[in-house]
Amino acid sequence: MISDRAVKLGVLLFVAMFFAYLFGPLIIMSITAFNSADFPRVAPWDCFSVEWFDVLVNDDKLMDGLRNSIIIGVGVVVLAVPIGLAGALMLMHVGQRVRPWYYTIVVSPILIPGVVLGISTLIFWDRLGAMFNAGYESIFYDGIFLTIVGQTTFISAYAMLVFISRLQRFDPALEEAALDLGASNVQTFRKILLPFLKPAIGSAAVLAFLASFENYNTTVFTITSESTLTTVLASKVRYGINPSISALAVVIVTLTLFAAAVMEIKKRRTEAFDKAIAKAVIEGTDALSRLGRKSNRLIDPAFAMIILIFVAGIGTAYYAGTVGVDECKAAVEEAKRAAVQRRIEELRQRRMFQGAQPGVQQAPTTQPSGTSDVQAPGTEGYQGIFAPTNLEGQVKGEDDGGQTQPSGTDRPAPGTEGYQNIFAPQNLEGQVKGEQEGDEAGQDQNPDGSQAEPSSDAERPAPGTEGYQGIFAPTNLQNQVKSSD
Amino acid sequence: MGLADFFRNFFQRNGLFLSLFLLAAVGFWVFFLIILPQIFMIDFSFRFNLPPAEMGGPKDVYTISHYKFLVYGSEQSADSYNFIDLSVFLRTIGAAVFVTIFDLAICYPIAYYLAQVAKGGWARLMVLSLIVPFWVNEILRAFAFRIIFGSNGIINEALLALGIIDDPYPFIRDNIALYAGLGYAFVLLMIFPLYNAIESLDKNQIEAARDLGSPWWRIHARIVIPFAKPGISSGCTMVFMLTAGALAAPEILGGPSSLWFTQIIYQWFNTGGNWPRGSAYAIILLSTCIAFVLLMMRVFKVKLGEIAR
Repeated sequence: MISDRAVKLGVLLFVAMFFAYLFGPLIIMSITAFNSADFPRVAPWDCFSVEWFDVLVNDDKLMDGLRNSIIIGVGVVVLAVPIGLAGALMLMHVGQRVRPWYYTIVVSPILIPGVVLGISTLIFWDRLGAMFNAGYESIFYDGIFLTIVGQTTFISAYAMLVFISRLQRFDPALEEAALDLGASNVQTFRKILLPFLKPAIGSAAVLAFLASFENYNTTVFTITSESTLTTVLASKVRYGINPSISALAVVIVTLTLFAAAVMEIKKRRTEAFDKAIAKAVIEGTDALSRLGRKSNRLIDPAFAMIILIFVAGIGTAYYAGTVGVDECKAAVEEAKRAAVQRRIEELRQRRMFQGAQPGVQQAPTTQPSGTSDVQAPGTEGYQGIFAPTNLEGQVKGEDDGGQTQPSGTDRPAPGTEGYQNIFAPQNLEGQVKGEQEGDEAGQDQNPDGSQAEPSSDAERPAPGTEGYQGIFAPTNLQNQVKSSD
Repeated sequence: MGLADFFRNFFQRNGLFLSLFLLAAVGFWVFFLIILPQIFMIDFSFRFNLPPAEMGGPKDVYTISHYKFLVYGSEQSADSYNFIDLSVFLRTIGAAVFVTIFDLAICYPIAYYLAQVAKGGWARLMVLSLIVPFWVNEILRAFAFRIIFGSNGIINEALLALGIIDDPYPFIRDNIALYAGLGYAFVLLMIFPLYNAIESLDKNQIEAARDLGSPWWRIHARIVIPFAKPGISSGCTMVFMLTAGALAAPEILGGPSSLWFTQIIYQWFNTGGNWPRGSAYAIILLSTCIAFVLLMMRVFKVKLGEIAR
């Protein structure tokens, strides 16, 4: 049925869009880490480089924060896992009537906003410190201690949930049997319960560390004068973006992917093992012995493959990112400089020209824009790196230019644009816009210029410098536009 | 059963060492990490903002001035209400509700697809791949959205290149980037509870309904959604709480003129230097969240244990 197929297609499309929403941002961010441009961006691509990873590693503040984050993470694991375990075991012991209350209290930290937890921790230890008349160097005001305590509040609850779900599969008869056979309580705990909970302890520890590592809301209040990776990151992102943050994201995404792959392989292997055992039980021992041989191999081929792929990928990226970067950057720099030079040159000429004969404004609108079009692809091919979108934007910019400024003086601009074409198309748009604004503004600023004069030289240098600096986002322009409005 | 009985049983069952460990760990957690800090914060929010020397002195009396401030503003101001803070508060709550609904709307079909429609290794790979963005830092995720939605970000570049718009659209100023980023940040906390709930639904029920001629929307309305109620309430609660309590994403993605309620709290603590007022605002936020949880429990008729999982 056609409608059935259409529904299926729609569903697939929706799923694809969802995953694009999920991964698109991460992929784009990762790509920007390899662009040598000073601003994390994809579209005007300068050079493939890994220099931002060097910047990242040499960033002392970030590394300091990382060290603190690891200390805090370890501290949280040490505190939260035992507390979570105790909380889960306690749940089995408290009476029916108390249980809902107890559960509500210990689970509530998950539902309390992290900001509130941070504030309450900060105030509580501050008041406690004041009660004991403790100095500001004491533990009550120590950012790392406060952060460990604050994070432990809710991470213990995570750990507890992990233990509860494991304990639900625990057979209490085992414990009773051990006690009946004369084991002491501590022995039973160590020999029966702990081994059973071992995988849960592992996953609770990993969960606790990761949750602590990426926490921001609680940390930002409790950390006081210290810093963690997340607080450093947040201030960096707010006050000055540079692609070394993308480089950090690449590291984290790679590690996560690696961990996920390893986890999946491990899971598959245990499943295969279980299946083989089931098969062996039915068919005899042959399958099991084969499996035994297989798992006796020194290195699992799947693991080896994954490690190989990751190492090869990192190696290739590093090689490609270090070789020829300087030449490429020099070329880009050179192109930028030449473009600016040429712009200035043109500006001077135009000024002279305009001064000489103002009548030239009426230059034919039909002037073949084709010439600049032809010229542009040539330079495009020469520089090669730049995406075709630039060209599109350029052509568009020319169209706009043609519509808004039919004057001959504007013609050269598209030409230079074609030459530079490093600069994003929106620069061009901005420029066109800036020129329009210039027209309006020019009427005030250049009283000697006639009303009909479509552009004023006073405004003209602005687009040029815009192109040169390149870093400045068009928002600047927008603000400018706004202010001139 | 009296308390003494309980402790006797408890010690008998676990032995001295283990009992002491359990009591100490749980006691420390419940009292020193959960209950006392909250009580201290509430107490603090009802006190005047005094320099440390005057704390505990004759001036240190209870007051509700900080709560009044949220509603009426400073006494010197001309406005009869504190329009700035109130509007930020209402907008935060409204935006959190909007983000929650948005996440529910996009996650429900995906969760249903992953749990009931997709089969085999492919489905498993998709579920596994959901974890990857989850472990990327919240700040980095917001940063990614800043790159994408920036005025020379990839979306503006694409729209300009296609000629759909002439100027870069101010996604950040209009808070579009913020809502997209918040929705993104907590999408997985919606999808996992939904997935877990729908996955445990017996496929035969759906097939039976289909065989009996029920259209797809009625299958969802009568079978899947009622069954997935705990998952829905859990996902909605988590997303709402985290969105309303978010701090990093609004700081990074928020427009220059817009504030998030948590940012105001942070300002009172940081630059404002008025901790009691910050605590009062935090308590307002906390009460709102508790009210939302209670509402969810009432609407979906679920227990707290089913929400926090």
